[in-house]
Amino acid sequence: MKSALPAGILAAMTGPLAGLPASAPTAEQIAYFEKRVRPVLVEHCYECHSAEGKTKGGLRLDTREATLRGGDSGPAIVPGKPGESLLVAAIRHTDEDLKMPEKKKLSDRAIADLAKWVAMGAPDPRQETAGADSFVVQEIDLEKGREFWAFQPPVEAPAPKVKAHAWPRSVTDRFLLAAMEAKGLQPVADADRRTLARRMYFDLTGLPPTPAQLRAFLDDDAPDAAGRLVDQLLASPHFGERWGRHWLDVARYSESNGMERNFTYPHAWRYRDYVIEAFNKDKPYDQFIREQIAGDLLDDGDAPGSTAEERLVATGFLALGPKQLNERDKQVFTMDLVDEQIDASTRAVLGLTVSCARCHDHKFDPIGMEDYYALAGIFTSSRTLYGTQGGGGNRQASGLMALGEDGPGLEKARQEHQKKVAAEQKRLAQANKRLANLRKQAARSKARQKEAMEERMDEMREQTAELKGRLGELRKNAPPLPAYAMGATEGGSPGDCRICLRGDPKKRGPQVARGYLRVVEVASAPPPAGDASGRKELAQWLTSPENPLTARVMVNRIWHHLFGTGLVRTVDNFGLMGERPVNRDLLDHLAVQFMDDGWSVKETVRRLMRTRAYQLSGRHDARNFEIDPENRHCWQMSHRRLGAEAIRDAILLAGGKLELAPYEGSVVQELGNVNFGRQQANLDGKSASVANHRSIYLPIIRNAVPEALRVFDFAEPSLIVGNRPVTNVPTQALYMLNDPFVLEHTGHLAARVLEEGGDASRRVDRAYLLTLSRRPEPSERERALALVDAIRTGLDTGDQAERERTAWAALAQSLIGSAEFRYLH
Amino acid sequence: MIDPHSPAHFSRRRALQGMSAGFGYMAFSGLAAHAAKPDAYRNPLLPKKPHFEPRAKRVIFACMRGGPSHVDTFDHKPDLARNEGKKIKGRKLMPSPWEFTPHGQSGLMVSSLFPHLAEHADDLCLLNGMFADVPAHPQAFVQLHTGSFQFVRPSVGSWVLYGLGTENENLPGFISLSPPARVGGAQNYGSAFLPALYQGTAIGTLRRPIREASLKNLSNQRLKPDLQRKQIDFIQAMNRDLLDRHEVDSQINGVIESYELAFRMQAAVPGVMDLDGETEAVKEKYGIGAGVTDDFGRQCLMARRLAEAGVRYIELGHGNWDQHNGLRKNLTRNCAGVDQPLAALLGDLKDRGMLEDTLVIWGGEFGRTPHVKKDDGRDHNHTGFTFWMAGGGIKGGMRYGATDENGIAAVDNRVHFHDLHATILHQLGLDHEKLTYRYAGRDFRLTDVHGNVLRDILA
Repeated sequence: MKSALPAGILAAMTGPLAGLPASAPTAEQIAYFEKRVRPVLVEHCYECHSAEGKTKGGLRLDTREATLRGGDSGPAIVPGKPGESLLVAAIRHTDEDLKMPEKKKLSDRAIADLAKWVAMGAPDPRQETAGADSFVVQEIDLEKGREFWAFQPPVEAPAPKVKAHAWPRSVTDRFLLAAMEAKGLQPVADADRRTLARRMYFDLTGLPPTPAQLRAFLDDDAPDAAGRLVDQLLASPHFGERWGRHWLDVARYSESNGMERNFTYPHAWRYRDYVIEAFNKDKPYDQFIREQIAGDLLDDGDAPGSTAEERLVATGFLALGPKQLNERDKQVFTMDLVDEQIDASTRAVLGLTVSCARCHDHKFDPIGMEDYYALAGIFTSSRTLYGTQGGGGNRQASGLMALGEDGPGLEKARQEHQKKVAAEQKRLAQANKRLANLRKQAARSKARQKEAMEERMDEMREQTAELKGRLGELRKNAPPLPAYAMGATEGGSPGDCRICLRGDPKKRGPQVARGYLRVVEVASAPPPAGDASGRKELAQWLTSPENPLTARVMVNRIWHHLFGTGLVRTVDNFGLMGERPVNRDLLDHLAVQFMDDGWSVKETVRRLMRTRAYQLSGRHDARNFEIDPENRHCWQMSHRRLGAEAIRDAILLAGGKLELAPYEGSVVQELGNVNFGRQQANLDGKSASVANHRSIYLPIIRNAVPEALRVFDFAEPSLIVGNRPVTNVPTQALYMLNDPFVLEHTGHLAARVLEEGGDASRRVDRAYLLTLSRRPEPSERERALALVDAIRTGLDTGDQAERERTAWAALAQSLIGSAEFRYLH
Repeated sequence: MIDPHSPAHFSRRRALQGMSAGFGYMAFSGLAAHAAKPDAYRNPLLPKKPHFEPRAKRVIFACMRGGPSHVDTFDHKPDLARNEGKKIKGRKLMPSPWEFTPHGQSGLMVSSLFPHLAEHADDLCLLNGMFADVPAHPQAFVQLHTGSFQFVRPSVGSWVLYGLGTENENLPGFISLSPPARVGGAQNYGSAFLPALYQGTAIGTLRRPIREASLKNLSNQRLKPDLQRKQIDFIQAMNRDLLDRHEVDSQINGVIESYELAFRMQAAVPGVMDLDGETEAVKEKYGIGAGVTDDFGRQCLMARRLAEAGVRYIELGHGNWDQHNGLRKNLTRNCAGVDQPLAALLGDLKDRGMLEDTLVIWGGEFGRTPHVKKDDGRDHNHTGFTFWMAGGGIKGGMRYGATDENGIAAVDNRVHFHDLHATILHQLGLDHEKLTYRYAGRDFRLTDVHGNVLRDILA
C-alpha cells in the first residue's frame, strides 16, 4: 500500500480539480491571457510567487499547474468560479487576512480582468518548467518501510551452537558466546564475589551493600548464591527507587514547567511514587504503558491489580512536559502540547522520533504527516490537566484531577466555595467604595448635612464590618481540599485533526482520521471512533504483542542499565538513523521472552543478571581489545560510572545518615503553586526535611536541579533521556573536594569510625569497607595512615580531638573522592 | 582522526576521546605511559580546529535584559521629531527626549545617553534592522540565547564551546556573569542535549551585585591548599592503582585529570575574578566604585580579564531595560550604568590589541515602540530594534539595516536572531550549517534551518 499524501496535499481540500479546461486553450483565450493576465501576474505577483522570485505561502503563480495547485491556503483559483477563487478574493481585498498585493491594491481594471479570466475557466498556456515543482512530497512506501529490521516482528531464533559448551549458563549466554566465537573473542574470567556483590547491589537498589550484607553474601557457599542474591534484591523496596528513576528519565519527570515561565507542578510527585510502586510490584510493562496513556479509561478488568486512583495518576506521564505557558494563542499552545505528548510517548515506548513528521514527512523513517496528525487527533481529543498558577505570565493554566472517591465532590465544593468567597469579596469592595465616596462627600458638605451623612456612614461602616466578618467566617470554613494529580482525561473536543501545513497551526490542510503509524499494523487495535479520544485504543496499539517495537525497546533499555550500553546503543531511536542491534537474534530472543513472561520487568532483569556474561569481571584483555575495543560483545563487564543518585546516596549511607524510608510527598508540594523564578531560597529553606533521603525524592525543578545531581550528569528533565551522558569534568572534582554536602557527610563517616573504636589500622579498614566494600591492601593501609598523620600534624587550628576528626574526615573524603568509589568494575 | 563536527553518531566515548588528538595535550608525568594507549583519555574541552580561519577568538556579549529603546540610543530618527503626537495605529508618537549627534570620522549618530561609547563610534557597527518573532520577554530572551523559544535547545555559548573548545583549561570556557533567574533562567546558558560539559557557568545573578558572587566549591574550609594537595596526591595514588589493575580505562584517566584541573582552577578562578590587582586608574576608567557604574564596571573588567585568560564566551548581564514608564529617569540611569564601563572595555581591549579578535556585542531581547505610554514610557517592540557589534572582524563606524521613518519596524537589511547567531559563529570560524549535533535521530543546528551571515558588515 502506498500512502496518499501526494504532491498537492492541498488539492484534496476542495476535491478533485474540477473545471480544468478539457481542451487546450483557443487562440483567442491565449491572446486574452497574454494581454490582460500575464502582464499583471508578472508585474504584481511574480516577485513573491514564482520560481524565480520567492514562494511566499507556498504559492507560485508562474505555471498553470502551480496556480491550480495553490499554496498553503489552498488552490489559488477554481476555474470557472471566481467567487470561490482565493486569488480573486485576495486581489479584491475583501478578506481582512488575505489582501494581495498587500501594499497597493491592483487597479479596478486589472482586478476585473483577472476575475473574468477565472470565469472563462482560466485558460493558461504556460507550461510547467523542468524542476520547478518544489512542492512534491515524496510518497512513503510503507511496504518498503516495513522491510526495515525494527518494523519486522521479533522472532525467536533457535539458540546457536557454541564451541565452549561449558561456558554458557543460559540461552542469552549462548547467543553472546556464539557471536564472540565468530569474532574470535574469548570471555574473560568471572568476577570475584566482592566485586559482583557491589555490582548487583548498585544495579538493583542503587546502594552499595552494607558490611553485614556483604559478609552474608560472601559466607553463602550455596552454588546459586548469586542467583539468590538477585531474588532477594528484586524483592527489596529499593528496587523501585532505582528502576523507577530509570523510567523517570525517559518520562522527562519534573516538578516544574521549565521553559520561560517556570511554574511549579506541586502534585507531580504522585506520578513519581506511582512509577516506583509499579516497578516494585512488577506491574506488567504493557499494562504500565497502557495506564500512562489511558489509565483514566481503564477499569479493574483492563488493569488488574491497579486502583482507579493509581490509573489516574499514571496519566501524569502525558501532563509532565515543558509547556509554553506564556503563549497567547490557545491553538498554538495546544498543538505544541500535543507535539510534546507525541514525542514523549513515541520515543519512550517505541524508540521512534515521530515528532519529526510534524512539519513534513519524516526524512528517514516511514512516517508521514498523515501518521503524525492521526496521532495528534487522539491527543487533541483529550484534555491535559497540569494545574499551574494562572497569571504572572501564565496564560495557559489548567485544572487538575481530583483524586479519591470523594475527590470530584470535594473539588466541586471547593469551586462553589471559591465562588461564594469571590461574591462576598465583590460585595465588600463595593461597600468600601461607597463608604469612601460618602467620606469624600462629607468632607465637602456643610455642617447641617454632615450629620445626616455621618449617620449614613455609620450604617455603611456597620455593613462593611458585617461583610468582613462573613468573609472571614467563610474563609475559616473552607471545605477540605481533595488530593490532586496531574494527568489526562477525556473531554477535549473529540474529533479528527487537520494537518498543520509546515507545522503551522494557522495553516490547516486536510483532516486525517485518528489512528496510529501505518507502518506498524496491529490487527487487534481498532482505530479510534466516535466521541472517545482514542487513547485507550492507542494504548492497545502501543502494547500489542504484534507491535514489533515496544518489547524490543524495553528489553534494550534494561540491557543498557545492566551492561552499560544497549544492544542497540541508540536506546531512544530504533529508526533508520538509530543504530542496528549488535546481536539481533539475542535482542529478539529477549523481547519474545519478555512478552511470554507477561511483560515482567523483574523476570527480564533476573534473566540477564543470572547470565555468565553479567557476572564476568571487568578485566582487560589485549587480544579481545584489539578485535572489539568497545566491548560490544560483552567479553568483559563494562566499567560503568555510578549515576548521580547512587553517588549521593552512597555518600549518605557511608556517613550513616541515609534515611531509607521513602519521603512522603515532595518539598515542591510544600512550596505550593508558584512561579519558581525567585523561589530558589524558599525551596532551599524547605529542603532540609528531604536532605538525608534518597535522591529520587529530591525536588526536581527544571533549570534548578540539585547540585549533587546536576554535577554528575543527571538527566536533563526537559528531555527524554534513555542514555545519560557521562562526563568527567573538573566541577565534579571540585564538588568532591569542597562541597559542603561532601564535607558534612565525610565528617559523619570519620566520627563513625572513630566512635567504633579500635586502633588506627582497624579504623582504616572500616573506612575502606564502608566506602569501597573491601579491605585495604597492607600498602594502602600504610598510605592511608600516612595521610591521616600528615593532615593531623599539618593542621594549625583546633584542639587535638578536632584535628583528629579532621584528619580522619580527610581520609574518608579521599576514599569517596576516588575513582573506585564512583565506578563499577 | 575524528571530524569534530561530523554528523556521524556522536557517542559518549567519542565525547570523551576528544577531538584534537593533534594538539599534543600534556598529560602530567604519572599519566604519560597510559596516554599512549589506544583508549587514552583526552579532554573534550581542548581547543578544536574551526571550519575556517576565524576572525575572532572569543565573544563578549553585553546582554541588556528588558529591551532597550533603540530610538533613544542608537537608531536616530529625525522624522520622529517631526511626527510628534501623530497617531500611528491609534497611538501617539513620542520623539526621543535625547539629542543625537554625529561622532567619529564616520559621523555615526549616537544619542546623548552614550557619551563615552560615542567616542568609539568608529569601532561600532550598528545593526539597526533587528527584528524578533515574539514581543514577550521570556520567549524573546530565550530565543536570543538559544535560537528557539519553542523548544529546549543549547545556548549560543554552549554551541561555541562544543565547536571550539576552550583555550584555558583552568577556567570554564563559557561564563555568564549575573544572568537573570527568570525569563528562562538556566536555559539561557544551558547545554540542553549537548553534553553537560558544554553548559555555561553562571556567576552571580542579575538581582545581586557581582561583587557578592563567587563560583561554587572553589575553596575548602577544612584544609589549606598544601594539605589539600596531600589529600589529592593520596586520591591520585588510589586512582593510579586502580588504573594499573584495569590497564585500560579512559574514564579513570579522566578522573585523574579532573582532579589536577580542579586543583589548578581553585587557584586560577579567584585570581581572574579578583579585581584587587588592577590599578586604581583602571578601576576608575571602568567606573568601579562610582555608584551607578560600579556593578557593570566590575563585570566589564572581569570580562576583559576572562577574555585575556582564554575564556571563549562571556556574557554580561544588565537590567532592567523594560521602561513602560519612567523612561526619562530610568533609561538615563541604565545607560549611565553601562556607557562608561563598555567604553572602557572597548578601549582596554584595543590598547591590548585584543579588540581585533574579540567580538563584542550589545543588545537585548527586543526594542521599544516609538509610541508614548503614560507620557513617559515605551512598550515592547520586536518588529524593529538595534544591536551593535564591535571588534572581532566586524566593520566599524557603520550602520547596517534600518527601521522605517518612525523606528517601528525593520525595513531594510533586516536581521533576525538566527542571522546574528550565524554571524557570531562565522566570525569564530564556524559554519553555522555545519556545526551540528546528532540528537533524537536528527542533526541539530543553532540556527535550525535559518540564518544568513551578515557578509556586508565583515571587515
